[in-house]
Amino acid sequence: MMFRLILLTAGLFAWGAQAALPDYQTFPGDGPRLLLWVNAERGRAEPELEAARKLAAQGTTVWSLDLGGAYFLPQLPSSMDAVPVQDVVDWLDAALATGKLATVYAVSRAAVPMLRAAAQLDAAQRGRLCVLLMYPNLYQSAEALVDADYLDTGRLDGLAIRLLQPRRSAATPWLPAQTAHLSALGARVTPVMLENLREGFWARETPTAFETERATQLDRLILKELESCR
Amino acid sequence: MSMKLSVAVSQGVAMLALAWLMPLSAAGLESRPAQPAPALQAKDFAGRSHTLADYRGQVVLLNFWASWCPPCRREMPSMERLRLRMAGRPLVILALDSVEPVEDVQEFLATMKLGFPVLLDPAGDNTRRWKVYALPTTFLLDSSGRIRHVLKGGAEWDEGEALEAIEGLLREAGMEGP
Repeated sequence: MMFRLILLTAGLFAWGAQAALPDYQTFPGDGPRLLLWVNAERGRAEPELEAARKLAAQGTTVWSLDLGGAYFLPQLPSSMDAVPVQDVVDWLDAALATGKLATVYAVSRAAVPMLRAAAQLDAAQRGRLCVLLMYPNLYQSAEALVDADYLDTGRLDGLAIRLLQPRRSAATPWLPAQTAHLSALGARVTPVMLENLREGFWARETPTAFETERATQLDRLILKELESCR
Repeated sequence: MSMKLSVAVSQGVAMLALAWLMPLSAAGLESRPAQPAPALQAKDFAGRSHTLADYRGQVVLLNFWASWCPPCRREMPSMERLRLRMAGRPLVILALDSVEPVEDVQEFLATMKLGFPVLLDPAGDNTRRWKVYALPTTFLLDSSGRIRHVLKGGAEWDEGEALEAIEGLLREAGMEGP
Protein backbone atom coordinates (compact mmCIF):
# COMPACT_ATOMS: atom_id res chain seq x y z
CA MET A 1 0.00 0.00 0.00
CA MET A 2 2.77 2.38 1.01
CA PHE A 3 4.72 1.42 -2.13
CA ARG A 4 1.67 2.24 -4.29
CA LEU A 5 1.34 5.61 -2.56
CA ILE A 6 5.00 6.36 -3.21
CA LEU A 7 4.59 5.40 -6.87
CA LEU A 8 1.48 7.55 -7.16
CA THR A 9 3.26 10.51 -5.56
CA ALA A 10 6.28 10.03 -7.80
CA GLY A 11 4.01 9.79 -10.82
CA LEU A 12 2.15 12.96 -9.87
CA PHE A 13 5.45 14.74 -9.29
CA ALA A 14 6.75 13.64 -12.68
CA TRP A 15 3.50 14.78 -14.34
CA GLY A 16 3.75 18.09 -12.52
CA ALA A 17 7.32 18.60 -13.72
CA GLN A 18 6.31 17.74 -17.27
CA ALA A 19 3.29 20.08 -17.04
CA ALA A 20 5.66 22.99 -16.29
CA LEU A 21 7.12 22.70 -19.77
CA PRO A 22 5.47 24.96 -22.32
CA ASP A 23 3.54 23.21 -25.06
CA TYR A 24 5.80 22.82 -28.09
CA GLN A 25 5.83 21.02 -31.42
CA THR A 26 8.56 18.51 -32.28
CA PHE A 27 10.12 17.87 -35.67
CA PRO A 28 12.36 14.85 -35.08
CA GLY A 29 15.71 14.62 -36.84
CA ASP A 30 18.29 11.85 -36.63
CA GLY A 31 21.39 14.03 -36.23
CA PRO A 32 23.23 15.37 -33.17
CA ARG A 33 21.71 18.88 -33.32
CA LEU A 34 18.67 20.25 -31.55
CA LEU A 35 17.21 23.59 -32.58
CA LEU A 36 14.94 25.32 -30.09
CA TRP A 37 12.89 27.53 -32.38
CA VAL A 38 10.97 30.23 -30.49
CA ASN A 39 8.59 32.18 -32.66
CA ALA A 40 7.96 35.91 -32.46
CA GLU A 41 4.94 37.27 -30.62
CA ARG A 42 2.94 37.00 -33.85
CA GLY A 43 3.12 33.22 -33.74
CA ARG A 44 4.17 30.65 -36.33
CA ALA A 45 4.12 31.42 -40.04
CA GLU A 46 3.91 28.69 -42.66
CA PRO A 47 7.41 29.37 -44.09
CA GLU A 48 8.80 28.85 -40.59
CA LEU A 49 7.04 25.50 -40.23
CA GLU A 50 8.27 24.52 -43.69
CA ALA A 51 11.84 25.46 -42.69
CA ALA A 52 11.49 23.38 -39.50
CA ARG A 53 10.35 20.37 -41.55
CA LYS A 54 13.30 20.81 -43.94
CA LEU A 55 15.79 21.09 -41.07
CA ALA A 56 14.39 17.91 -39.50
CA ALA A 57 14.67 16.11 -42.82
CA GLN A 58 18.34 17.14 -42.90
CA GLY A 59 18.90 15.70 -39.43
CA THR A 60 18.34 18.63 -37.06
CA THR A 61 15.66 17.99 -34.47
CA VAL A 62 13.47 21.06 -34.04
CA TRP A 63 11.39 21.92 -31.01
CA SER A 64 9.08 24.68 -32.14
CA LEU A 65 7.67 26.89 -29.42
CA ASP A 66 5.00 29.52 -29.98
CA LEU A 67 4.95 31.25 -26.60
CA GLY A 68 1.85 33.29 -27.36
CA GLY A 69 -0.09 30.17 -28.30
CA ALA A 70 1.32 28.09 -25.44
CA TYR A 71 0.22 30.62 -22.82
CA PHE A 72 -2.85 32.04 -24.61
CA LEU A 73 -1.30 35.49 -24.75
CA PRO A 74 -2.23 38.37 -27.08
CA GLN A 75 0.05 38.75 -30.09
CA LEU A 76 1.87 41.71 -28.60
CA PRO A 77 5.54 42.25 -27.77
CA SER A 78 4.68 42.89 -24.11
CA SER A 79 3.08 39.42 -23.91
CA MET A 80 6.54 37.89 -24.20
CA ASP A 81 7.58 39.71 -21.03
CA ALA A 82 4.80 37.86 -19.15
CA VAL A 83 5.97 34.33 -20.03
CA PRO A 84 6.83 32.30 -16.89
CA VAL A 85 10.61 32.20 -17.09
CA GLN A 86 10.93 29.08 -14.94
CA ASP A 87 8.96 27.13 -17.56
CA VAL A 88 11.45 28.23 -20.19
CA VAL A 89 14.36 27.30 -17.90
CA ASP A 90 12.82 23.82 -17.54
CA TRP A 91 12.45 23.62 -21.32
CA LEU A 92 16.13 24.50 -21.80
CA ASP A 93 17.08 21.95 -19.13
CA ALA A 94 15.08 19.30 -20.96
CA ALA A 95 16.80 20.23 -24.23
CA LEU A 96 20.28 20.06 -22.70
CA ALA A 97 19.38 16.73 -21.08
CA THR A 98 18.90 15.18 -24.52
CA GLY A 99 22.67 15.32 -24.96
CA LYS A 100 22.26 16.95 -28.36
CA LEU A 101 23.98 20.20 -29.35
CA ALA A 102 21.26 22.66 -28.39
CA THR A 103 20.86 25.99 -30.14
CA VAL A 104 18.12 28.50 -29.42
CA TYR A 105 16.68 30.52 -32.29
CA ALA A 106 14.41 33.28 -30.96
CA VAL A 107 12.65 35.91 -33.06
CA SER A 108 11.89 39.50 -32.09
CA ARG A 109 10.54 39.94 -28.53
CA ALA A 110 10.72 36.19 -27.85
CA ALA A 111 14.40 36.89 -27.25
CA VAL A 112 13.52 38.35 -23.85
CA PRO A 113 12.17 35.22 -22.08
CA MET A 114 14.88 33.12 -23.72
CA LEU A 115 17.68 35.37 -22.46
CA ARG A 116 16.08 35.56 -19.01
CA ALA A 117 15.95 31.76 -18.92
CA ALA A 118 19.54 31.45 -20.16
CA ALA A 119 20.61 33.82 -17.38
CA GLN A 120 19.18 31.41 -14.82
CA LEU A 121 21.13 28.39 -16.08
CA ASP A 122 24.33 27.54 -14.29
CA ALA A 123 27.52 28.61 -16.02
CA ALA A 124 28.31 25.13 -17.39
CA GLN A 125 24.85 24.76 -18.93
CA ARG A 126 24.97 28.27 -20.38
CA GLY A 127 28.34 27.48 -21.91
CA ARG A 128 26.80 24.52 -23.75
CA LEU A 129 24.07 26.65 -25.23
CA CYS A 130 24.22 28.79 -28.32
CA VAL A 131 21.65 31.47 -29.09
CA LEU A 132 20.61 32.95 -32.42
CA LEU A 133 18.58 36.13 -31.98
CA MET A 134 16.69 37.32 -35.05
CA TYR A 135 16.20 41.12 -34.80
CA PRO A 136 15.68 40.93 -31.03
CA ASN A 137 13.51 43.56 -29.42
CA LEU A 138 15.03 44.04 -25.99
CA TYR A 139 13.71 47.52 -25.31
CA GLN A 140 11.73 48.53 -22.26
CA SER A 141 11.15 51.81 -24.06
CA ALA A 142 12.57 53.39 -27.19
CA GLU A 143 11.20 56.88 -27.67
CA ALA A 144 12.59 59.36 -30.16
CA LEU A 145 15.17 61.82 -28.75
CA VAL A 146 15.68 59.69 -25.63
CA ASP A 147 18.24 56.96 -24.91
CA ALA A 148 16.67 53.52 -25.23
CA ASP A 149 15.97 51.65 -22.03
CA TYR A 150 16.66 47.89 -22.10
CA LEU A 151 14.65 45.23 -20.27
CA ASP A 152 16.45 43.44 -17.50
CA THR A 153 17.50 39.95 -18.58
CA GLY A 154 20.10 39.14 -15.94
CA ARG A 155 23.77 38.25 -16.46
CA LEU A 156 24.61 36.26 -19.58
CA ASP A 157 28.22 35.38 -18.82
CA GLY A 158 29.73 33.04 -21.37
CA LEU A 159 26.60 32.79 -23.51
CA ALA A 160 27.35 32.63 -27.25
CA ILE A 161 24.95 34.88 -29.15
CA ARG A 162 24.68 35.57 -32.86
CA LEU A 163 22.64 38.72 -33.48
CA LEU A 164 20.91 38.39 -36.85
CA GLN A 165 19.83 41.78 -38.15
CA PRO A 166 18.05 42.28 -41.48
CA ARG A 167 19.69 45.34 -43.06
CA ARG A 168 16.40 46.99 -44.05
CA SER A 169 15.29 47.80 -40.54
CA ALA A 170 15.10 50.81 -38.26
CA ALA A 171 17.11 48.71 -35.80
CA THR A 172 20.15 48.53 -38.09
CA PRO A 173 21.84 51.73 -36.87
CA TRP A 174 21.34 50.48 -33.31
CA LEU A 175 23.02 47.10 -33.85
CA PRO A 176 26.36 48.27 -32.36
CA ALA A 177 24.52 49.56 -29.28
CA GLN A 178 22.61 46.31 -28.88
CA THR A 179 25.82 44.31 -29.30
CA ALA A 180 27.52 46.44 -26.66
CA HIS A 181 24.56 46.01 -24.30
CA LEU A 182 24.63 42.19 -24.51
CA SER A 183 28.42 42.13 -24.30
CA ALA A 184 28.27 44.21 -21.13
CA LEU A 185 26.04 41.48 -19.65
CA GLY A 186 28.83 38.97 -20.30
CA ALA A 187 27.64 37.38 -23.55
CA ARG A 188 29.98 36.61 -26.44
CA VAL A 189 28.16 38.45 -29.22
CA THR A 190 28.64 38.21 -32.97
CA PRO A 191 26.49 40.58 -35.05
CA VAL A 192 25.42 39.25 -38.45
CA MET A 193 23.93 41.56 -41.07
CA LEU A 194 21.35 40.01 -43.40
CA GLU A 195 21.56 42.04 -46.60
CA ASN A 196 18.55 43.23 -48.62
CA LEU A 197 16.05 41.82 -46.16
CA ARG A 198 13.43 43.29 -43.86
CA GLU A 199 12.35 42.04 -40.46
CA GLY A 200 10.02 39.06 -40.78
CA PHE A 201 10.92 38.75 -44.46
CA TRP A 202 9.42 35.24 -44.56
CA ALA A 203 5.93 36.55 -43.80
CA ARG A 204 5.69 40.04 -45.31
CA GLU A 205 2.43 41.16 -46.92
CA THR A 206 4.24 42.59 -49.91
CA PRO A 207 7.58 40.80 -50.10
CA THR A 208 10.23 41.66 -52.66
CA ALA A 209 11.28 38.90 -55.07
CA PHE A 210 14.47 38.52 -53.06
CA GLU A 211 12.56 38.15 -49.80
CA THR A 212 10.27 35.54 -51.34
CA GLU A 213 13.30 33.58 -52.50
CA ARG A 214 15.01 33.85 -49.12
CA ALA A 215 11.82 32.81 -47.30
CA THR A 216 11.98 29.48 -49.11
CA GLN A 217 15.61 29.15 -48.00
CA LEU A 218 15.07 29.98 -44.34
CA ASP A 219 16.29 26.51 -43.36
CA ARG A 220 19.62 27.15 -45.10
CA LEU A 221 20.10 30.47 -43.36
CA ILE A 222 19.40 28.97 -39.94
CA LEU A 223 21.56 25.92 -40.59
CA LYS A 224 24.47 28.15 -41.62
CA GLU A 225 24.12 30.26 -38.46
CA LEU A 226 23.66 27.17 -36.34
CA GLU A 227 26.94 25.78 -37.64
CA SER A 228 28.71 29.13 -37.16
CA CYS A 229 27.53 29.31 -33.59
CA ARG A 230 29.76 26.42 -32.50
CA MET B 1 -37.95 45.55 -38.99
CA SER B 2 -35.19 43.71 -40.78
CA MET B 3 -34.70 46.80 -42.97
CA LYS B 4 -34.32 48.97 -39.84
CA LEU B 5 -31.93 46.46 -38.39
CA SER B 6 -29.95 46.41 -41.61
CA VAL B 7 -29.73 50.22 -41.66
CA ALA B 8 -28.75 50.33 -37.99
CA VAL B 9 -26.03 47.75 -38.59
CA SER B 10 -24.80 49.63 -41.64
CA GLN B 11 -24.67 52.88 -39.69
CA GLY B 12 -22.88 51.16 -36.84
CA VAL B 13 -20.34 49.69 -39.20
CA ALA B 14 -19.88 53.06 -40.91
CA MET B 15 -19.31 54.79 -37.57
CA LEU B 16 -16.86 52.16 -36.48
CA ALA B 17 -15.05 52.45 -39.79
CA LEU B 18 -14.94 56.23 -39.40
CA ALA B 19 -13.65 55.95 -35.85
CA TRP B 20 -11.04 53.51 -37.11
CA LEU B 21 -9.96 55.68 -40.02
CA MET B 22 -10.00 59.13 -38.42
CA PRO B 23 -7.06 58.64 -36.08
CA LEU B 24 -4.99 57.40 -39.03
CA SER B 25 -4.65 60.97 -40.27
CA ALA B 26 -1.94 61.47 -37.61
CA ALA B 27 -2.47 58.90 -34.90
CA GLY B 28 -0.10 59.54 -32.03
CA LEU B 29 1.19 63.00 -32.96
CA GLU B 30 2.85 63.87 -29.70
CA SER B 31 3.30 67.43 -28.48
CA ARG B 32 6.54 67.95 -26.60
CA PRO B 33 7.69 70.83 -24.44
CA ALA B 34 9.85 72.97 -26.70
CA GLN B 35 13.35 71.54 -26.71
CA PRO B 36 16.50 72.25 -28.69
CA ALA B 37 16.99 70.01 -31.70
CA PRO B 38 20.05 67.80 -32.11
CA ALA B 39 22.39 68.72 -34.93
CA LEU B 40 21.36 67.83 -38.45
CA GLN B 41 24.25 67.41 -40.85
CA ALA B 42 23.27 65.75 -44.09
CA LYS B 43 23.85 66.02 -47.79
CA ASP B 44 21.40 65.83 -50.65
CA PHE B 45 21.94 63.98 -53.94
CA ALA B 46 23.83 66.93 -55.38
CA GLY B 47 26.28 66.81 -52.46
CA ARG B 48 24.99 70.04 -50.90
CA SER B 49 25.20 70.14 -47.12
CA HIS B 50 22.07 70.93 -45.10
CA THR B 51 21.83 71.97 -41.46
CA LEU B 52 18.90 73.27 -39.43
CA ALA B 53 20.53 76.68 -39.28
CA ASP B 54 19.82 76.96 -42.99
CA TYR B 55 16.10 76.98 -42.20
CA ARG B 56 15.97 79.20 -39.11
CA GLY B 57 12.86 81.39 -39.20
CA GLN B 58 10.82 78.67 -40.90
CA VAL B 59 8.71 75.85 -39.54
CA VAL B 60 10.46 72.56 -40.36
CA LEU B 61 8.95 69.14 -40.94
CA LEU B 62 11.83 66.68 -40.64
CA ASN B 63 10.89 63.16 -41.70
CA PHE B 64 13.12 60.11 -41.14
CA TRP B 65 12.23 57.44 -43.66
CA ALA B 66 13.50 54.59 -45.84
CA SER B 67 12.39 53.34 -49.21
CA TRP B 68 11.88 49.77 -47.95
CA CYS B 69 9.39 50.99 -45.32
CA PRO B 70 5.75 50.75 -46.53
CA PRO B 71 4.25 53.40 -44.19
CA CYS B 72 7.07 55.78 -45.18
CA ARG B 73 6.19 55.34 -48.83
CA ARG B 74 2.49 55.74 -48.13
CA GLU B 75 2.82 59.12 -46.42
CA MET B 76 5.17 60.66 -49.00
CA PRO B 77 2.41 61.84 -51.38
CA SER B 78 0.71 63.69 -48.51
CA MET B 79 3.95 65.52 -47.77
CA GLU B 80 4.17 66.58 -51.40
CA ARG B 81 0.55 67.78 -51.31
CA LEU B 82 1.41 69.69 -48.12
CA ARG B 83 4.34 71.36 -49.89
CA LEU B 84 2.09 72.46 -52.74
CA ARG B 85 -0.61 73.65 -50.35
CA MET B 86 1.91 75.67 -48.32
CA ALA B 87 3.65 77.22 -51.32
CA GLY B 88 4.81 80.74 -50.42
CA ARG B 89 4.53 80.13 -46.68
CA PRO B 90 7.54 79.57 -44.40
CA LEU B 91 7.35 75.79 -44.09
CA VAL B 92 10.17 73.55 -45.21
CA ILE B 93 9.91 69.79 -45.57
CA LEU B 94 13.08 67.70 -45.26
CA ALA B 95 12.98 63.95 -45.87
CA LEU B 96 16.04 62.27 -44.41
CA ASP B 97 16.63 58.79 -45.73
CA SER B 98 17.95 56.58 -42.96
CA VAL B 99 20.83 54.17 -43.57
CA GLU B 100 20.26 53.08 -47.15
CA PRO B 101 22.44 52.79 -50.22
CA VAL B 102 22.00 55.86 -52.43
CA GLU B 103 20.98 53.67 -55.38
CA ASP B 104 17.99 52.28 -53.46
CA VAL B 105 16.80 55.80 -52.64
CA GLN B 106 17.24 56.94 -56.23
CA GLU B 107 15.33 53.93 -57.52
CA PHE B 108 12.38 54.79 -55.29
CA LEU B 109 12.45 58.51 -56.10
CA ALA B 110 12.31 57.68 -59.80
CA THR B 111 8.79 56.39 -59.13
CA MET B 112 7.63 59.44 -57.17
CA LYS B 113 8.14 63.09 -58.05
CA LEU B 114 8.87 65.03 -54.87
CA GLY B 115 9.56 68.76 -54.74
CA PHE B 116 11.16 68.91 -51.27
CA PRO B 117 14.77 68.11 -50.40
CA VAL B 118 15.63 64.47 -49.82
CA LEU B 119 18.71 64.14 -47.62
CA LEU B 120 20.92 61.12 -47.09
CA ASP B 121 22.12 59.52 -43.88
CA PRO B 122 23.98 56.47 -45.20
CA ALA B 123 25.94 55.75 -42.02
CA GLY B 124 23.05 56.57 -39.69
CA ASP B 125 24.82 59.37 -37.82
CA ASN B 126 21.78 61.65 -37.84
CA THR B 127 19.44 58.76 -37.06
CA ARG B 128 21.45 57.97 -33.95
CA ARG B 129 21.87 61.61 -32.93
CA TRP B 130 18.10 62.14 -33.09
CA LYS B 131 17.56 58.75 -31.41
CA VAL B 132 15.15 57.46 -34.01
CA TYR B 133 14.18 53.84 -33.29
CA ALA B 134 11.27 53.45 -35.69
CA LEU B 135 10.49 54.51 -39.24
CA PRO B 136 8.89 56.74 -40.22
CA THR B 137 9.50 59.20 -37.41
CA THR B 138 8.73 62.87 -38.01
CA PHE B 139 9.63 65.97 -36.04
CA LEU B 140 7.91 69.34 -36.30
CA LEU B 141 10.19 72.23 -35.38
CA ASP B 142 9.08 75.78 -34.72
CA SER B 143 10.60 78.78 -36.42
CA SER B 144 13.20 79.03 -33.63
CA GLY B 145 14.45 75.55 -34.43
CA ARG B 146 12.96 73.89 -31.34
CA ILE B 147 11.25 70.50 -31.46
CA ARG B 148 7.53 70.83 -30.72
CA HIS B 149 5.86 67.67 -32.03
CA VAL B 150 6.99 64.09 -32.70
CA LEU B 151 5.18 61.39 -34.62
CA LYS B 152 6.25 57.75 -34.71
CA GLY B 153 4.45 56.16 -37.64
CA GLY B 154 2.83 57.46 -40.79
CA ALA B 155 0.34 60.30 -41.28
CA GLU B 156 -1.62 62.20 -43.87
CA TRP B 157 0.31 65.43 -43.49
CA ASP B 158 -2.01 67.68 -45.47
CA GLU B 159 -5.07 67.15 -43.29
CA GLY B 160 -6.44 66.73 -39.79
CA GLU B 161 -4.34 66.86 -36.66
CA ALA B 162 -1.03 67.00 -38.53
CA LEU B 163 -2.06 70.00 -40.59
CA GLU B 164 -3.48 71.72 -37.50
CA ALA B 165 -0.17 71.28 -35.68
CA ILE B 166 1.73 72.80 -38.61
CA GLU B 167 -0.73 75.69 -38.89
CA GLY B 168 -0.39 76.21 -35.14
CA LEU B 169 3.38 76.59 -35.42
CA LEU B 170 2.98 78.98 -38.35
CA ARG B 171 0.42 81.04 -36.38
CA GLU B 172 2.72 81.21 -33.36
CA ALA B 173 5.38 82.77 -35.53
CA GLY B 174 2.88 85.27 -36.88
CA MET B 175 2.70 83.55 -40.22
CA GLU B 176 -1.05 83.19 -40.69
CA GLY B 177 -2.39 81.53 -43.80
CA PRO B 178 -4.17 83.42 -46.55
